[in-house]
Amino acid sequence: MSTGTIYHHLDTLSSLIEQQDDKKYYLTELGLHAYTSLIDNKDTIITPEFSKKEFNSPILKGLMHLTPKTYINYENKRTYSVMIFSILIALIGSIFCGLNGLFPFFLFFAESLTIFTTSEIIIQFLLAFLFIGNILLYFLINEGLSRVIYKKKENTLKFLASFAIIFFPLDIYLVLRFILTSTGSLDFSYIRVLDNVLMILFQVWSLWLLTYNLSINKKLKIENSLIVSLLVHYGGFSIILLISI
Amino acid sequence: MTIKKYLDFRLLGLVGSILLIISQFLSWFSGLSLLTIYILTTSVAIEDSFLYLFPLICGIICLVGNLVVIYNIEYKINSVIINFIGLGFFLIFIIEIIPRELLYIPYAEIGFYFSIVGSILIFFDILNILLTKHE
Repeated sequence: MSTGTIYHHLDTLSSLIEQQDDKKYYLTELGLHAYTSLIDNKDTIITPEFSKKEFNSPILKGLMHLTPKTYINYENKRTYSVMIFSILIALIGSIFCGLNGLFPFFLFFAESLTIFTTSEIIIQFLLAFLFIGNILLYFLINEGLSRVIYKKKENTLKFLASFAIIFFPLDIYLVLRFILTSTGSLDFSYIRVLDNVLMILFQVWSLWLLTYNLSINKKLKIENSLIVSLLVHYGGFSIILLISI
Repeated sequence: MTIKKYLDFRLLGLVGSILLIISQFLSWFSGLSLLTIYILTTSVAIEDSFLYLFPLICGIICLVGNLVVIYNIEYKINSVIINFIGLGFFLIFIIEIIPRELLYIPYAEIGFYFSIVGSILIFFDILNILLTKHE
Protein backbone atom coordinates (compact mmCIF):
# COMPACT_ATOMS: atom_id res chain seq x y z
CA MET A 1 0.00 0.00 0.00
CA SER A 2 1.39 3.39 -0.93
CA THR A 3 2.18 6.04 1.70
CA GLY A 4 -0.43 8.31 0.15
CA THR A 5 -3.16 5.71 0.63
CA ILE A 6 -2.15 5.17 4.26
CA TYR A 7 -2.28 8.92 4.94
CA HIS A 8 -5.68 9.06 3.27
CA HIS A 9 -7.00 6.36 5.65
CA LEU A 10 -5.35 8.00 8.66
CA ASP A 11 -7.01 11.26 7.66
CA THR A 12 -10.40 9.53 7.48
CA LEU A 13 -9.88 8.20 11.02
CA SER A 14 -8.62 11.56 12.32
CA SER A 15 -11.40 11.90 14.91
CA LEU A 16 -10.69 8.43 16.29
CA ILE A 17 -6.87 8.36 16.35
CA GLU A 18 -4.08 10.85 17.04
CA GLN A 19 -0.30 10.84 16.67
CA GLN A 20 1.58 11.47 19.88
CA ASP A 21 5.13 12.66 20.62
CA ASP A 22 6.62 9.18 20.18
CA LYS A 23 5.25 9.28 16.55
CA LYS A 24 2.92 6.34 17.30
CA TYR A 25 -0.83 6.49 16.70
CA TYR A 26 -3.17 6.11 19.68
CA LEU A 27 -6.95 6.05 20.06
CA THR A 28 -8.52 9.38 21.00
CA GLU A 29 -11.16 9.52 23.72
CA LEU A 30 -13.86 9.13 21.05
CA GLY A 31 -11.90 6.30 19.43
CA LEU A 32 -11.62 4.51 22.75
CA HIS A 33 -15.35 4.97 23.34
CA ALA A 34 -16.15 3.58 19.88
CA TYR A 35 -13.86 0.60 20.47
CA THR A 36 -15.36 -0.15 23.91
CA SER A 37 -18.86 0.19 22.55
CA LEU A 38 -18.15 -2.30 19.75
CA ILE A 39 -16.57 -4.79 22.15
CA ASP A 40 -19.39 -4.48 24.73
CA ASN A 41 -22.14 -4.93 22.16
CA LYS A 42 -20.47 -7.56 20.03
CA ASP A 43 -23.24 -10.06 20.70
CA THR A 44 -26.17 -7.76 20.14
CA ILE A 45 -25.08 -5.49 17.32
CA ILE A 46 -26.90 -6.25 14.13
CA THR A 47 -24.60 -8.39 12.06
CA PRO A 48 -24.74 -9.24 8.37
CA GLU A 49 -27.78 -11.28 9.27
CA PHE A 50 -27.69 -14.18 6.96
CA SER A 51 -25.03 -16.39 5.55
CA LYS A 52 -24.67 -15.84 1.81
CA LYS A 53 -26.07 -19.30 1.20
CA GLU A 54 -29.16 -18.54 3.27
CA PHE A 55 -29.67 -15.12 1.71
CA ASN A 56 -29.69 -16.66 -1.76
CA SER A 57 -32.44 -19.10 -0.80
CA PRO A 58 -35.75 -18.51 -2.61
CA ILE A 59 -37.69 -17.99 0.66
CA LEU A 60 -35.53 -15.15 1.97
CA LYS A 61 -35.04 -13.63 -1.46
CA GLY A 62 -38.81 -13.63 -1.93
CA LEU A 63 -39.45 -12.15 1.52
CA MET A 64 -36.85 -9.44 0.96
CA HIS A 65 -38.60 -8.54 -2.31
CA LEU A 66 -41.86 -8.22 -0.39
CA THR A 67 -40.31 -5.99 2.28
CA PRO A 68 -40.86 -2.24 1.87
CA LYS A 69 -37.27 -1.56 2.96
CA THR A 70 -37.30 2.15 2.20
CA TYR A 71 -40.25 2.67 4.56
CA ILE A 72 -38.74 0.68 7.45
CA ASN A 73 -35.07 1.58 7.12
CA TYR A 74 -35.56 5.31 6.56
CA GLU A 75 -33.65 8.51 7.24
CA ASN A 76 -35.00 11.11 9.65
CA LYS A 77 -35.89 13.55 6.88
CA ARG A 78 -38.39 10.99 5.53
CA THR A 79 -40.15 10.49 8.86
CA TYR A 80 -43.31 12.34 7.80
CA SER A 81 -43.81 10.38 4.60
CA VAL A 82 -43.29 7.13 6.53
CA MET A 83 -45.81 8.25 9.15
CA ILE A 84 -48.38 9.11 6.47
CA PHE A 85 -47.87 5.69 4.89
CA SER A 86 -48.26 4.01 8.30
CA ILE A 87 -51.43 5.94 9.13
CA LEU A 88 -52.85 5.08 5.72
CA ILE A 89 -52.22 1.38 6.34
CA ALA A 90 -53.82 1.60 9.79
CA LEU A 91 -56.89 3.39 8.39
CA ILE A 92 -57.40 1.00 5.47
CA GLY A 93 -56.99 -1.96 7.86
CA SER A 94 -59.48 -0.54 10.34
CA ILE A 95 -62.10 0.18 7.64
CA PHE A 96 -61.91 -3.32 6.19
CA CYS A 97 -61.73 -4.92 9.63
CA GLY A 98 -65.03 -3.19 10.46
CA LEU A 99 -66.58 -4.10 7.10
CA ASN A 100 -65.60 -7.75 7.52
CA GLY A 101 -66.86 -7.80 11.12
CA LEU A 102 -63.69 -9.42 12.36
CA PHE A 103 -62.28 -9.11 15.86
CA PRO A 104 -58.57 -8.22 15.60
CA PHE A 105 -56.06 -9.56 18.08
CA PHE A 106 -52.38 -9.02 17.26
CA LEU A 107 -52.01 -10.67 13.86
CA PHE A 108 -55.11 -12.83 14.26
CA PHE A 109 -58.68 -12.21 13.24
CA ALA A 110 -61.35 -14.15 15.02
CA GLU A 111 -64.69 -14.53 13.31
CA SER A 112 -66.13 -16.64 16.09
CA LEU A 113 -65.66 -13.78 18.52
CA THR A 114 -68.02 -11.46 16.66
CA ILE A 115 -70.95 -12.24 18.87
CA PHE A 116 -72.92 -9.29 17.57
CA THR A 117 -74.59 -8.94 14.19
CA THR A 118 -72.04 -7.18 12.05
CA SER A 119 -74.71 -5.31 10.15
CA GLU A 120 -74.92 -2.88 13.04
CA ILE A 121 -72.84 0.10 12.08
CA ILE A 122 -71.82 0.84 15.67
CA ILE A 123 -70.26 -2.58 16.00
CA GLN A 124 -68.39 -2.04 12.75
CA PHE A 125 -67.04 1.26 14.08
CA LEU A 126 -66.06 -0.45 17.33
CA LEU A 127 -64.15 -3.17 15.46
CA ALA A 128 -62.43 -0.50 13.35
CA PHE A 129 -61.29 1.30 16.50
CA LEU A 130 -60.20 -2.02 17.98
CA PHE A 131 -57.94 -2.51 14.95
CA ILE A 132 -56.16 0.79 15.71
CA GLY A 133 -55.99 -0.09 19.42
CA ASN A 134 -54.63 -3.50 18.49
CA ILE A 135 -51.76 -1.89 16.53
CA LEU A 136 -50.84 0.27 19.53
CA LEU A 137 -51.06 -2.65 21.97
CA TYR A 138 -48.96 -4.82 19.68
CA PHE A 139 -46.37 -2.04 19.41
CA LEU A 140 -46.22 -1.61 23.20
CA ILE A 141 -45.70 -5.33 23.78
CA ASN A 142 -42.93 -5.56 21.16
CA GLU A 143 -41.24 -2.43 22.47
CA GLY A 144 -41.56 -3.74 26.03
CA LEU A 145 -40.08 -7.13 25.18
CA SER A 146 -37.15 -5.50 23.33
CA ARG A 147 -36.47 -3.36 26.39
CA VAL A 148 -36.92 -6.12 28.98
CA ILE A 149 -35.16 -8.99 27.24
CA TYR A 150 -32.52 -7.23 25.14
CA LYS A 151 -32.21 -3.84 26.92
CA LYS A 152 -32.87 -1.98 23.67
CA LYS A 153 -34.31 1.41 24.50
CA GLU A 154 -33.33 3.35 21.38
CA ASN A 155 -35.37 4.48 18.36
CA THR A 156 -38.78 4.08 20.03
CA LEU A 157 -40.35 6.85 17.93
CA LYS A 158 -38.75 5.61 14.74
CA PHE A 159 -40.06 2.12 15.51
CA LEU A 160 -43.55 3.52 16.24
CA ALA A 161 -43.61 5.63 13.06
CA SER A 162 -43.00 2.57 10.88
CA PHE A 163 -44.80 0.03 13.05
CA ALA A 164 -48.16 0.01 11.23
CA ILE A 165 -46.32 -1.03 8.05
CA ILE A 166 -46.16 -4.58 9.41
CA PHE A 167 -49.97 -4.66 9.04
CA PHE A 168 -49.71 -4.02 5.31
CA PRO A 169 -50.06 -7.75 4.41
CA LEU A 170 -53.06 -8.04 6.72
CA ASP A 171 -54.68 -5.09 4.91
CA ILE A 172 -54.38 -7.05 1.68
CA TYR A 173 -55.87 -10.09 3.41
CA LEU A 174 -58.80 -8.03 4.74
CA VAL A 175 -59.51 -6.55 1.31
CA LEU A 176 -59.40 -10.02 -0.29
CA ARG A 177 -61.67 -11.40 2.40
CA PHE A 178 -64.12 -8.55 1.91
CA ILE A 179 -64.25 -9.33 -1.82
CA LEU A 180 -64.83 -13.04 -1.05
CA THR A 181 -67.56 -12.21 1.47
CA SER A 182 -69.37 -9.68 -0.70
CA THR A 183 -69.38 -12.03 -3.71
CA GLY A 184 -70.72 -14.84 -1.52
CA SER A 185 -67.70 -17.05 -2.33
CA LEU A 186 -66.93 -17.58 1.34
CA ASP A 187 -69.97 -19.86 1.63
CA PHE A 188 -68.10 -22.55 -0.32
CA SER A 189 -65.99 -24.81 1.89
CA TYR A 190 -63.04 -24.80 -0.51
CA ILE A 191 -62.96 -21.02 -0.49
CA ARG A 192 -63.04 -21.06 3.31
CA VAL A 193 -59.96 -23.30 3.28
CA LEU A 194 -58.32 -20.89 0.83
CA ASP A 195 -59.24 -18.05 3.18
CA ASN A 196 -57.51 -19.86 6.07
CA VAL A 197 -54.42 -20.55 3.98
CA LEU A 198 -54.29 -16.91 2.86
CA MET A 199 -54.52 -15.73 6.46
CA ILE A 200 -51.59 -17.99 7.45
CA LEU A 201 -49.42 -16.77 4.57
CA PHE A 202 -50.19 -13.08 5.17
CA GLN A 203 -49.55 -13.58 8.91
CA VAL A 204 -46.12 -15.03 8.16
CA TRP A 205 -45.40 -12.07 5.85
CA SER A 206 -46.42 -9.69 8.64
CA LEU A 207 -44.25 -11.58 11.12
CA TRP A 208 -41.32 -11.17 8.74
CA LEU A 209 -41.95 -7.41 8.47
CA LEU A 210 -42.07 -7.22 12.27
CA THR A 211 -38.79 -9.12 12.49
CA TYR A 212 -37.17 -6.84 9.90
CA ASN A 213 -38.49 -3.73 11.64
CA LEU A 214 -37.17 -4.91 15.02
CA SER A 215 -33.76 -5.68 13.59
CA ILE A 216 -33.47 -2.34 11.79
CA ASN A 217 -35.02 0.06 14.27
CA LYS A 218 -34.31 -1.68 17.59
CA LYS A 219 -30.87 -2.84 16.38
CA LEU A 220 -31.59 -6.45 17.28
CA LYS A 221 -29.92 -9.38 15.61
CA ILE A 222 -32.27 -11.11 13.21
CA GLU A 223 -32.39 -14.22 15.42
CA ASN A 224 -33.34 -12.14 18.47
CA SER A 225 -35.99 -10.27 16.45
CA LEU A 226 -37.46 -13.61 15.42
CA ILE A 227 -37.55 -14.72 19.07
CA VAL A 228 -39.50 -11.56 20.03
CA SER A 229 -41.90 -12.06 17.09
CA LEU A 230 -42.34 -15.71 18.01
CA LEU A 231 -43.04 -15.01 21.68
CA VAL A 232 -45.57 -12.26 20.93
CA HIS A 233 -47.30 -14.22 18.17
CA TYR A 234 -47.75 -17.43 20.14
CA GLY A 235 -48.45 -15.52 23.35
CA GLY A 236 -51.26 -13.80 21.43
CA PHE A 237 -52.47 -17.14 20.16
CA SER A 238 -52.64 -18.57 23.68
CA ILE A 239 -54.70 -15.58 24.84
CA ILE A 240 -57.11 -15.76 21.89
CA LEU A 241 -57.51 -19.47 22.53
CA LEU A 242 -58.36 -18.88 26.18
CA ILE A 243 -60.84 -16.14 25.22
CA SER A 244 -62.52 -18.34 22.63
CA ILE A 245 -62.82 -21.18 25.15
CA MET B 1 -23.39 -29.25 28.96
CA THR B 2 -22.60 -32.95 28.64
CA ILE B 3 -26.07 -33.79 27.36
CA LYS B 4 -25.44 -31.60 24.31
CA LYS B 5 -22.56 -33.86 23.30
CA TYR B 6 -24.87 -36.82 22.92
CA LEU B 7 -28.14 -35.22 21.89
CA ASP B 8 -28.82 -32.86 19.00
CA PHE B 9 -31.67 -30.64 20.15
CA ARG B 10 -32.67 -30.08 16.53
CA LEU B 11 -34.27 -33.52 16.83
CA LEU B 12 -36.95 -31.93 19.04
CA GLY B 13 -38.62 -30.48 15.96
CA LEU B 14 -38.29 -33.73 14.08
CA VAL B 15 -39.98 -35.64 16.93
CA GLY B 16 -42.64 -32.90 17.20
CA SER B 17 -43.44 -33.05 13.49
CA ILE B 18 -43.64 -36.85 13.54
CA LEU B 19 -45.95 -36.74 16.58
CA LEU B 20 -48.22 -34.31 14.73
CA ILE B 21 -48.32 -36.53 11.64
CA ILE B 22 -48.99 -39.65 13.73
CA SER B 23 -51.73 -37.85 15.69
CA GLN B 24 -53.74 -37.61 12.47
CA PHE B 25 -54.11 -41.39 12.46
CA LEU B 26 -54.73 -41.90 16.20
CA SER B 27 -58.08 -41.63 17.90
CA TRP B 28 -59.19 -38.14 19.00
CA PHE B 29 -62.86 -38.39 19.97
CA SER B 30 -65.07 -41.46 20.44
CA GLY B 31 -62.35 -43.70 19.05
CA LEU B 32 -62.32 -41.82 15.73
CA SER B 33 -59.11 -40.56 14.19
CA LEU B 34 -58.95 -37.15 12.51
CA LEU B 35 -58.66 -38.85 9.15
CA THR B 36 -61.87 -40.78 9.82
CA ILE B 37 -63.60 -37.60 11.00
CA TYR B 38 -62.43 -35.86 7.81
CA ILE B 39 -63.82 -38.67 5.62
CA LEU B 40 -67.11 -38.68 7.56
CA THR B 41 -67.56 -34.91 7.41
CA THR B 42 -66.66 -34.81 3.71
CA SER B 43 -69.16 -37.56 2.90
CA VAL B 44 -72.00 -35.62 4.54
CA ALA B 45 -70.71 -32.36 3.01
CA ILE B 46 -70.18 -30.59 6.31
CA GLU B 47 -68.38 -27.27 5.88
CA ASP B 48 -64.76 -26.91 6.93
CA SER B 49 -64.03 -30.64 6.81
CA PHE B 50 -60.62 -29.71 5.39
CA LEU B 51 -59.73 -28.29 8.79
CA TYR B 52 -59.35 -31.83 10.08
CA LEU B 53 -56.38 -32.30 7.76
CA PHE B 54 -54.54 -29.26 9.10
CA PRO B 55 -52.52 -31.11 11.81
CA LEU B 56 -51.22 -33.45 9.09
CA ILE B 57 -50.35 -30.50 6.82
CA CYS B 58 -48.67 -28.75 9.77
CA GLY B 59 -46.65 -31.88 10.59
CA ILE B 60 -45.47 -32.28 6.99
CA ILE B 61 -44.49 -28.60 6.59
CA CYS B 62 -42.65 -28.54 9.94
CA LEU B 63 -40.91 -31.80 9.03
CA VAL B 64 -39.58 -30.13 5.87
CA GLY B 65 -38.49 -27.11 7.97
CA ASN B 66 -36.63 -29.34 10.39
CA LEU B 67 -34.98 -31.42 7.70
CA VAL B 68 -33.69 -28.17 6.19
CA VAL B 69 -31.98 -27.14 9.44
CA ILE B 70 -30.70 -30.65 10.16
CA TYR B 71 -29.20 -30.71 6.65
CA ASN B 72 -27.43 -27.40 7.22
CA ILE B 73 -27.63 -25.13 10.29
CA GLU B 74 -26.85 -22.14 8.04
CA TYR B 75 -30.44 -22.32 6.79
CA LYS B 76 -31.89 -21.61 10.22
CA ILE B 77 -33.87 -18.49 9.25
CA ASN B 78 -35.43 -20.39 6.34
CA SER B 79 -36.26 -23.25 8.67
CA VAL B 80 -37.91 -20.93 11.20
CA ILE B 81 -40.04 -19.31 8.49
CA ILE B 82 -41.16 -22.71 7.19
CA ASN B 83 -42.00 -23.72 10.77
CA PHE B 84 -44.01 -20.49 11.19
CA ILE B 85 -46.11 -21.45 8.16
CA GLY B 86 -46.54 -25.00 9.46
CA LEU B 87 -47.55 -23.92 12.96
CA GLY B 88 -49.96 -21.41 11.39
CA PHE B 89 -52.04 -24.35 10.13
CA PHE B 90 -52.09 -25.89 13.58
CA LEU B 91 -53.09 -22.60 15.22
CA ILE B 92 -56.02 -22.15 12.81
CA PHE B 93 -57.07 -25.75 13.47
CA ILE B 94 -56.95 -25.27 17.25
CA ILE B 95 -58.77 -21.91 17.15
CA GLU B 96 -61.55 -23.35 14.99
CA ILE B 97 -61.83 -26.79 16.57
CA ILE B 98 -61.38 -26.24 20.31
CA PRO B 99 -64.44 -23.96 20.78
CA ARG B 100 -66.48 -26.28 18.54
CA GLU B 101 -65.52 -29.45 20.43
CA LEU B 102 -65.15 -27.83 23.83
CA LEU B 103 -67.59 -30.16 25.58
CA TYR B 104 -65.68 -33.19 24.36
CA ILE B 105 -62.17 -31.97 25.27
CA PRO B 106 -62.18 -33.73 28.69
CA TYR B 107 -62.85 -36.98 26.82
CA ALA B 108 -60.18 -36.34 24.17
CA GLU B 109 -58.03 -39.35 23.39
CA ILE B 110 -54.36 -39.95 22.66
CA GLY B 111 -54.30 -38.24 19.23
CA PHE B 112 -55.22 -34.88 20.76
CA TYR B 113 -52.40 -35.09 23.31
CA PHE B 114 -49.91 -36.22 20.66
CA SER B 115 -50.71 -33.15 18.59
CA ILE B 116 -50.43 -30.75 21.54
CA VAL B 117 -47.09 -32.25 22.64
CA GLY B 118 -45.89 -32.17 19.02
CA SER B 119 -46.69 -28.48 18.58
CA ILE B 120 -45.01 -27.59 21.89
CA LEU B 121 -41.88 -29.50 20.82
CA ILE B 122 -41.83 -27.60 17.52
CA PHE B 123 -42.16 -24.29 19.41
CA PHE B 124 -39.15 -25.14 21.60
CA ASP B 125 -37.27 -26.36 18.56
CA ILE B 126 -37.72 -22.96 16.88
CA LEU B 127 -36.38 -21.25 20.02
CA ASN B 128 -33.48 -23.69 20.12
CA ILE B 129 -32.63 -23.08 16.45
CA LEU B 130 -32.66 -19.32 16.97
CA LEU B 131 -30.50 -19.54 20.09
CA THR B 132 -27.98 -21.87 18.46
CA LYS B 133 -24.79 -20.10 17.43
CA HIS B 134 -22.87 -21.44 14.48
CA GLU B 135 -19.41 -20.60 13.19
